[in-house]
Amino acid sequence: MIHAVLIFNTSGIPRLTKFYTPLHQSSQTVVQKIFSLISVRPQGLCNFLDAPELEAFLGPKDGSNERWRVVYRNYATLYFVFVVDGAESELGILDLIQVFVEALDRSFQNVCELDLVFHFDEVHHILAEIIQGGLVLETNVEEINSSVKSALKARKDSFVSSNPLALGGSVGGSRNGGLPTPLNWLTDRLTGVSGR
Amino acid sequence: MAANMRGLTQFIADIRGARVRELEEKRINKEMANIRKKFKDGNLDGYQKKKYVAKIIFTYILGYKVDIGHLEAVNLISSSKYSEKQIVCLSFTGDGNSLALVQGYLAVTLLMHENSDFLRLVVNSIRKDLDENNEVHNCLALHAIANVGSSEMAEALAEDVHRLLISPTSMTFVKKKAALTLLRLYRKRPEVIPAVEWALRLVSLMDDQDLGVVLCVTSLITALAQDHPDAFAVCYTKAVDRLHRIGIEHEYSGIYTYYKVPAPWLQVKLLRLLQYYPPTEDMTLKNVLNETLQTIMTSSAEPSRNVQHNNAQNAVLFEAISLAIHLDTRSPLVDTAAVLLARFISSKETNVRYLGLDTMAHLAARSETLDPLKKHQGTIILSLRDKDISVRRRALDLLYSMCDVDNSELIVGELLRYLKVADYVLREEMVLKIAILTEKYASSYKWYVDTILQLISAAGDHVGEEVWYRVVQIVTNTEDLQAYAARVVFEYLKTPSVHESLVKVGGYILGEYGHLIANEPGYSPIEQFQVLHSKSQFCVAPTRSILLSTYIKWVNVFPEIKPQLINIFERYRHVLDAELQQRACEYYALACLPDDNEMLQNVCEEMPPFPPRVSGLTSRLNRKMTDTEDKRTWIHGGREINLEQQQMTTLVRPKQAELPVNDSATASGTADSAVLNALAGLDLTVPSEAGESAPAPRLTVGPSIDKWYQKLTYSAEGVLYEDVQIQIGIKSRFQGYLGQLAIYFGNKVSAPLTSFTSTIYVSDSAALSATFAKIPANVLAPRTQSQQLLQVECKKVFTCPPILTVSFLAGAYQSISIRLPVIVTKFSEGVKFGQADFFERWKLIGGFPREAQVVFPISLDAAGHIDLPHNRRIVSGNHFEILDGIDPNPSNIVGAAVLHTSVEGKVGCLLRLEPNREAKLCRLTVRSTSEEVATAVQRLVETALRME
Repeated sequence: MIHAVLIFNTSGIPRLTKFYTPLHQSSQTVVQKIFSLISVRPQGLCNFLDAPELEAFLGPKDGSNERWRVVYRNYATLYFVFVVDGAESELGILDLIQVFVEALDRSFQNVCELDLVFHFDEVHHILAEIIQGGLVLETNVEEINSSVKSALKARKDSFVSSNPLALGGSVGGSRNGGLPTPLNWLTDRLTGVSGR
Repeated sequence: MAANMRGLTQFIADIRGARVRELEEKRINKEMANIRKKFKDGNLDGYQKKKYVAKIIFTYILGYKVDIGHLEAVNLISSSKYSEKQIVCLSFTGDGNSLALVQGYLAVTLLMHENSDFLRLVVNSIRKDLDENNEVHNCLALHAIANVGSSEMAEALAEDVHRLLISPTSMTFVKKKAALTLLRLYRKRPEVIPAVEWALRLVSLMDDQDLGVVLCVTSLITALAQDHPDAFAVCYTKAVDRLHRIGIEHEYSGIYTYYKVPAPWLQVKLLRLLQYYPPTEDMTLKNVLNETLQTIMTSSAEPSRNVQHNNAQNAVLFEAISLAIHLDTRSPLVDTAAVLLARFISSKETNVRYLGLDTMAHLAARSETLDPLKKHQGTIILSLRDKDISVRRRALDLLYSMCDVDNSELIVGELLRYLKVADYVLREEMVLKIAILTEKYASSYKWYVDTILQLISAAGDHVGEEVWYRVVQIVTNTEDLQAYAARVVFEYLKTPSVHESLVKVGGYILGEYGHLIANEPGYSPIEQFQVLHSKSQFCVAPTRSILLSTYIKWVNVFPEIKPQLINIFERYRHVLDAELQQRACEYYALACLPDDNEMLQNVCEEMPPFPPRVSGLTSRLNRKMTDTEDKRTWIHGGREINLEQQQMTTLVRPKQAELPVNDSATASGTADSAVLNALAGLDLTVPSEAGESAPAPRLTVGPSIDKWYQKLTYSAEGVLYEDVQIQIGIKSRFQGYLGQLAIYFGNKVSAPLTSFTSTIYVSDSAALSATFAKIPANVLAPRTQSQQLLQVECKKVFTCPPILTVSFLAGAYQSISIRLPVIVTKFSEGVKFGQADFFERWKLIGGFPREAQVVFPISLDAAGHIDLPHNRRIVSGNHFEILDGIDPNPSNIVGAAVLHTSVEGKVGCLLRLEPNREAKLCRLTVRSTSEEVATAVQRLVETALRME
């Protein structure tokens, strides 16, 4: 089972925190702990990390030799981190992170960190189409995208119906003009970043 | 949406603009105060509520504690507007504990009964959304349940979720969410889900067209099947079939390929599911599975350039290797896998090295021979010095698993050397593992003592108490070792800095066995005393009290140093620590007794050996598993420990629900409770074995079902079952103890029957085996017929025919269970006898108990005659050779046959049927060399004759 999905940047500021199991301590300390574990790992190490240290936050993992495992992937300025248990395949989770990123990229067109800041709700909605209650719901980017779109449309419709005078009704997804230019942190996402 | 809320955008921008944390906090506090005030004033419209809740959520994401807004969030749920509902889902999802917070918040602000009303309100509005015809609303509701998943919801909503899941009109995306939601509820409250009752219906969803649905349903079934393996047994076939179709027949929709790998997540899930079941016995399944695994392994031999492609392919490959190991460690597949793994552990990719070592540990934990692994021992030991701690950990686990008597000295030596430079976080675990290995695979006691003492001196702080307790136990119980241990420990104590654990061991061992070496040069009592006592000042009180006990033992055996010892007791009588003081006083009094007093000698008798005990070490390493979480399929350690674990889990599982005490006892992890637990496991052996096999499926009843069945017992082909939707026909052929049934399934309606599943239940598998020749197709096209071959083999005499269960989806889920006309007489062949031969054998067999006889009423045919042709048909249909001219009465029938079984050999059988027209009665006599056969055959023929 997936117990947590976190996104934080290279300075350790959380951009998305989602826990599927109750926490024993505040989420801030968990993020900091995980950040301190991951940020010290140089490039070239594997994407998996046994983390007995997390027992203090998520409770002990019972079962023989069972541990919390952290699977993470670094994209430009952001770390995508999944905390899972032994029932998940590590490489499968790694692939799932890639799917998540691709899905974000589809929705935001060249997603950047600022998108995650200003459209945090949208990020949650996209995640909800991939993982539900700690389990993988859908892995196909097309399918995820169409679910996100249909939810978006439903939202738009209800918005328009309740605010008949609103102009445009551009809801979520597209960035509006007032925001700073994107950092394009993901432009090389499929080619250059590799599996690290 | 954020774009439409200027206030929210401004808020976010403000926070981002804050230079220092204090300013950020100030801004947030201001905003929260504002929101609190707004909420208090009330009178907000939906948009405003939504905006404020959104702000609260953003604050939450930043990691601040939020204690307001939950009530408003819940109010929004009953809104009819999608955008307002959705934000609520988000507010729940932002925080796994949100509802707990809601309750906590309410507990303060509202009265108790209002609280419960309030919760019901939430549940009710969620139910309303579930019942609605709008799929998008359904999804939101499911999503909310899956994320909050409180036990109230589990109780109230499980049924509704299940209905959405199985409803034929549900859209695929609703089904997916429903499956996972159901799983969530099951994890929360397993008792509210009637898993066994729903089993077949849920398994049938694994045949869904949409691979996304299959993935979610497989997740659900994986969890349920672990707790109810028998009820979900069909899923094994389904999983194998699906893997075969994806991997070999390439039957999948293109959108589910991920970087050219077909549905990797689904494959991984299915391969994992199969590992929760014991290896299948069914030859057909086994072959299909082997073929599939073989294909996976060969296809991944060529690594590609694309990282994502490699990842996905390896994910499937590693799971496939795990399954191959699980199925049979001696199969050629595992040999291939071992070669692959060897390549992986020296791969350049860190991820691959990591997983290679992990999977190799699985192989080591299961395999009967470690030789293939030992070839790579050098590489593995090198991995202990990998630059990545994750890899180092895996290498440690692997070395632990692959250690045996032959390589233990090498491995333990290597671990000890590594221990000195190992990461701080790894050390405690390493120490424990080294201690276990040393004890388990010690080739000599000397080596054991040397290693453990070296371990304690090298990693003192990380050595748990149980490690040194264990040394003391073993030294005490092994007489040959005592003098040697005393000598070695003394040498260690002589070094200038000694760890306290070593002082404890030294104190105990020298106190007990110091006198054994006192006559050797350099080990005299006074030297022993000086060395030990010089350490005392650096030790804490408990260690010192151990030393005091050592001294009183020495008073007994070393009279020459008595004055020094008494001196120490005297000084310790005045220390502040109560324990030390008490010991010192008592020991002082004891030591000052006159020499002829036997008191001291009696008190200081040598310690008796400890009763044999299970080592407390392993139990600390292997804690128990919880209930509904996915369990591990194997654990680190050698083969025996895995076998043991398997037995434990299979035996304890059925009772676990009723024995919560068991769990709490093991949680403490002490040696004693582990022993108790092992005993508890043994106690359950008898009852659980009796109830092991799955219960027989309940037979479908219908007016003609019995007739069809009876007719087929004495004929080779015919209709077995028919209703408006389906027709089942049989053609059979028997040869000796083998038989083949062609079962025809005809779809009579104009819609396809999907998720078509047929299973065979045999009550006594030792007497009769029945297997399908291949995995049947799972769709029966409209107005077509499909044929399935069933192979049967009679091993011993049996009485219960196998039961065929057919289930399919035709709108609703349907299942039919009927007996198959496979009875014991089908495996017999007629024999021809002359009159003399027949009577000789008839007499030879004799009467009771090898004769079975019955008299029963018969009905006559229309003309009032005995229906002779009918009778003859039945007798010959039961594979008897009808012998004419033996009985003078023409209406009597005499027959002979030989029954073939593969285990019990051939059994002769003679039959005589004497109908009486006047009395309308009939006497049937069967004689056989086996009593069992006589009774069984008599019953079968009688039932066939009585049936009209």
